[in-house]
Amino acid sequence: MNESMMVNPILNRTRRHFFRDCGLGLGSMAIGTLTGENPVRGEGVPAAKAESGIARKGHFPGKAKSVIYLFMAGGPSQLEMFEYKPELQKRSGQPIPDSFTEGRRFAFMDTFSREKPKLLGTRRKFARHGQSGAQVSELLPEFAKMVDNVAILKTVATDVFNHAPAKLFANTGSQQFGRPSMGSWVTYGIGSESRDLPGFVVMQSGPRGPRGGAVNWGSGFLPTAYQGVPLRSSNDPILNLATPENIRPSQQKRAVEAVAALNRQRMEVTGDQEIATRVAAYEMAFRMQTSAPELVDFSGESRATLALYGVEPGKPSFGSQCLLARRMVERGVRFVQIYHSEWDHHGGPGQTLNKDLDVSCRDIDRPMAALIADLKSRGLLDETLVVWGGEFGRTPMGENRENIGRNHHIDTSVMWMAGGGVKSGIVHGMTDEFGFAPVEDRIHIHDIQATILHQLGLEHTRLTYRFQGRDFRLTDVEGQVITKILA
Amino acid sequence: MIGLSLIVAVVLGPCGVIPEEGPSKGRVDYATQIKPLLAQRCVACHGEARPRGGLRLDTANFARKGGKGGPSVIVGKSGQSPLIEAVKGDGAIERMPLKRPGLAPGEISLLARWIDEGAIAPDNEVPTRLNETHWAFLPPGRPAIPRPNLEKGETALQPIDAFVRDRLAKAGLSPSAEADKITLIRRLKLDLLGLPPTPAEVDQFLLDASPDAYGRLVDRYLASPHFGERWARPWLDAARYADSNGYSIDAPRSIWSYRDWVIKSINRDQPFDQFVIDQVAGDLRPNATLDQRVATGFHRNTPLNQEGGIDQEQFRIESIYDRVSTTSTVFLGLTMGCAQCHDHKYDPITQREYYELFAFLNSVEEPTLEFATEKDLAAREAVRKEIADHHIALNKRHPEIAHRMKDWEANLTPAFKVDQPPEIKDSFDRAVDKRTENQVRLLTELFLADVSDYKAEKKALAELRKRVPVFDTTLVVGELKTPRVTQIHLGGDFTRKGTVVAPGVPAVLPRIKARDAKRPDRLDLANWLVDPANPLTARVTVNRIWQSYFGRGIVETENDFGTQGAPPSHPELLDWLANLLVAKNWSMKALHREIVLSKTYRQASISRPDLDRVDPDNRLLGRQSRVRLEAELIRDSALLVGGLLNPTIGGPSVFPHQPNGVMDLGQMKRPWKPSNGPDRYRRGLYTFFWRATPYPALLVFDAPNSIQACTKRNRSNTPIQALTLLNDASFVECATAFGKRIVAEGGKTDTSRMEFAFKTVLGRKPGDLETRTIERLLLAERNDSKPDQDGSEASAWVAVARVLLNTDEFITRE
Repeated sequence: MNESMMVNPILNRTRRHFFRDCGLGLGSMAIGTLTGENPVRGEGVPAAKAESGIARKGHFPGKAKSVIYLFMAGGPSQLEMFEYKPELQKRSGQPIPDSFTEGRRFAFMDTFSREKPKLLGTRRKFARHGQSGAQVSELLPEFAKMVDNVAILKTVATDVFNHAPAKLFANTGSQQFGRPSMGSWVTYGIGSESRDLPGFVVMQSGPRGPRGGAVNWGSGFLPTAYQGVPLRSSNDPILNLATPENIRPSQQKRAVEAVAALNRQRMEVTGDQEIATRVAAYEMAFRMQTSAPELVDFSGESRATLALYGVEPGKPSFGSQCLLARRMVERGVRFVQIYHSEWDHHGGPGQTLNKDLDVSCRDIDRPMAALIADLKSRGLLDETLVVWGGEFGRTPMGENRENIGRNHHIDTSVMWMAGGGVKSGIVHGMTDEFGFAPVEDRIHIHDIQATILHQLGLEHTRLTYRFQGRDFRLTDVEGQVITKILA
Repeated sequence: MIGLSLIVAVVLGPCGVIPEEGPSKGRVDYATQIKPLLAQRCVACHGEARPRGGLRLDTANFARKGGKGGPSVIVGKSGQSPLIEAVKGDGAIERMPLKRPGLAPGEISLLARWIDEGAIAPDNEVPTRLNETHWAFLPPGRPAIPRPNLEKGETALQPIDAFVRDRLAKAGLSPSAEADKITLIRRLKLDLLGLPPTPAEVDQFLLDASPDAYGRLVDRYLASPHFGERWARPWLDAARYADSNGYSIDAPRSIWSYRDWVIKSINRDQPFDQFVIDQVAGDLRPNATLDQRVATGFHRNTPLNQEGGIDQEQFRIESIYDRVSTTSTVFLGLTMGCAQCHDHKYDPITQREYYELFAFLNSVEEPTLEFATEKDLAAREAVRKEIADHHIALNKRHPEIAHRMKDWEANLTPAFKVDQPPEIKDSFDRAVDKRTENQVRLLTELFLADVSDYKAEKKALAELRKRVPVFDTTLVVGELKTPRVTQIHLGGDFTRKGTVVAPGVPAVLPRIKARDAKRPDRLDLANWLVDPANPLTARVTVNRIWQSYFGRGIVETENDFGTQGAPPSHPELLDWLANLLVAKNWSMKALHREIVLSKTYRQASISRPDLDRVDPDNRLLGRQSRVRLEAELIRDSALLVGGLLNPTIGGPSVFPHQPNGVMDLGQMKRPWKPSNGPDRYRRGLYTFFWRATPYPALLVFDAPNSIQACTKRNRSNTPIQALTLLNDASFVECATAFGKRIVAEGGKTDTSRMEFAFKTVLGRKPGDLETRTIERLLLAERNDSKPDQDGSEASAWVAVARVLLNTDEFITRE
């Protein structure tokens, strides 16, 4: 490094633009970025721009351009849906051998003293499907037809057995609050290809939001520009998107133009480039006012497509959100996450493994199958990584509440991925005879995170942000790309 | 990447404890002048552990001996010593320190003189260990106030200005002129009270030509009760104050009395050391007052997990972790979290020391304080007794009720049970034989209300219930009589217990003076935090205040004063301010006054190409910075301009309007009944803060999540912010009200109305170009709307109002 370069005005300008364009005021960035480092290091790419409408190169060309993450909040029961264990059926009702539970902690452990947990076989019928012969139960008849497009991961473990911390862990890689969520990391790393829509969009399906709420799509210590934007099922898909009722579109346009004019005039006076960023933000906001309603308007979709997803016009559903996800991906949105919220089947009222699980599965079965089929038929599946999973799995032991259910389980759960450069028609990993723990190809949630980043062209160990004197990353100090499942 | 970081280096030059070399005075002293320099700039790479090139510089002997390339110090011959060649960087050796700021010329000549004088050092020299000499762990120095050249017309400089000017002069830069008076009053009022000045205030200030006009304004604002509201907010950020428990259940909590205590304490200028002691250990003070107990709410602001099936101990531990982390970040500016699992990699904090600090906080209990006198409590007890008696009589009159209730309960839907208030919900969750007497009674009353018979009984009991007095409550901290034993959590896992530790403070910092040396307690910790011997607390505190006024701290990493943090841009100024705070008996108002009276603060913020070239981030403060207002202040300003602001101070948190659907994003769907009364227009800091579903207009403008301590807010600039200001009903309401004000109060002509509008929003008159922009807007609005008596005229001005409330200038302190 030549010292004379240090005062090179061009470098200075680059540096200044970096700050200004990145959507932050002076002084608001952590010291790591002060050094002018691009989030994606060592590529010689121009410095980061936080405006999410600008795409950036990753560490290497990724197979996937976008991610659609179907998050099953509550912890879906793999043993009712994907894991058939003859031994568990045979020994259903018997206490689980001590060797499995000794010295371990579970949720609701206080109930163990009352009664030792007993193994619980499933009442669901399983069959093998497709060329891969993957096991899928009768709960997911439509998804079962798609298994040859999917990689089923049978051994996904996590660290935490309570909902809120486990969700945080799955989304931010840490049980501790304050870390950026996956979508934030991704848009921080490679921006977004959409100039008219936010780069990271979150949807919520079902009667309630995910536990913990906004922290699951928060930007943590990353600039707020990267936080997930909730897209709502109501008429106003993004909060405050609609022009107020008594203001006509022509007036709104004039208002935005006048604001821009006044802001530019102020920039002349003060010389503050931050104002230019604000002008750009208003321009994007104005574009969003058109593009977001267009996004949620299904009138251009064929009847066949609507039927494929099971969308009933005007009725919010998981199906319409999956369709929205496809439409977003078409428009360049980088990271879409849909929370579906009723998967906590303990056996209490509204949480049974029979009719309540039926309802949850019915909600998602057709839409998720449709999403894969639709993306595929449009040639988008190759560049879109679809991920399905919850914050943890459920125990092979039953839980006796008013009805039979299953407890939270961290040792293993089932997730699946489709498209985005992941092998199709495979089943990866194997668990023991009860489906209690992995015996082959254990996957940790940090591996899932590393793999998602990898498919987008990001090296998880190099996507870092310096905060409080330490370089943080999504996968903390762990995580390995699951190379065996990559096409 | 390296090039960019070096730009900063050139601008800033080195920081450090080494005084600039004056004219040579006597012999260079190794121990005080050379060893610290080598320690600070060289030993990181040339120390005991894996010295680069085999060269160690942690003792003079090692320096003379050299590394693989031979000796680095040739005694008596600085010109031939590779060490000097390296730090100069003008020879064959790469400039050292590699990829770090170079040494200042004064430091280089000091080194050279030491070598020329014989490189003398004590024989028994102990090798330097890293960290021990880190500037922030050493007590603040007593820096001499520099005497830079004065600008034309100046007779003397305040110390702040002397330090800043001196640094600017070294970079060949001059300060900016004072901002115009309008900018000044707007800046000052936004900074001190969080509100823009009214046109009348501006006019009065403009007319006041006396030399102390500004000083009197400062005093007036410092005395305003709104000062406490403005400055409570950053403290509440640090205290992670919120109105709900967080996690998935996110139940509401009542702790607003703590918030009001903060406002009150700041308003009465409670000395900062006492302010800290009250919050960390007010309950342990001898004869603790009610206020001192309320203050301990500081450490009750931790989130609380009420999810079913959790391990209670795990989340109790989580709350202690949070308290340790908050204590170290907020007061010490240190990140101790790493040491939860292992010794800190960079800072001299061991895992053991982490748990020693943990031990101070591990024995807290968590009572709820009720604001009731003995008499109040007796009165309540009397009504409760009446209720109990009534139930006993009821059971005698209607023995069948107990039996009927069983059937009734068996037929209740889960939804009905879930919808009940918490204490009733709890009763349902318990087995029948585990219910308390009171729970049985509450259920009985619910039964009576739910069935159609027993109307008279129901009525009588309901009336009794209405008579039970309800008192305000707040969450406080208490101390267990028998302290908990604290053990190290191996690998940060609380189920794996290691060595037992006693309360203690990190060895790198001064010792704690415990009242009982055998067992230091939380009050000792509090005293230690604000002991003037503590090198961190005062510095960290003044730095955070400075950050609010200039957009960045003197130490930019305001939450990391450790070895990985950024060095201070003005180390002497930082120390001088820290000393000032202590010397002024920790008066925060004195500190605020000193800063806002400085010329440095009063400079114009307009960018200057000459500064931008050399100091693009304005670290040397050759001008002020334009700073976007904090989320709450944007709301407050809009309310004030609209003539809607309700200036009431304190009280329970309020529910202003928010868009529909926000609460749907939480798992529990908490209620939000927007107020239609005066509480609709309260200042932003009183908005009820649900941790799982925060008020969107706050979050969008970077209000923190209130889950962990936040000592610096982001200032982002996003399209969602634009949508909020343009379309959010609250802001539209302000714009509408303001538009009507323009018509009513702005005179009859377009010119006078425009002037009124600009002065109300921005404190100033419109410029020519701006006038034309607004005229064009007015014309289009008038053409575009149906002529309906005065309505169309008002709506044209509402459009103008809305535009002005959306300008960058309105939401910026210039």
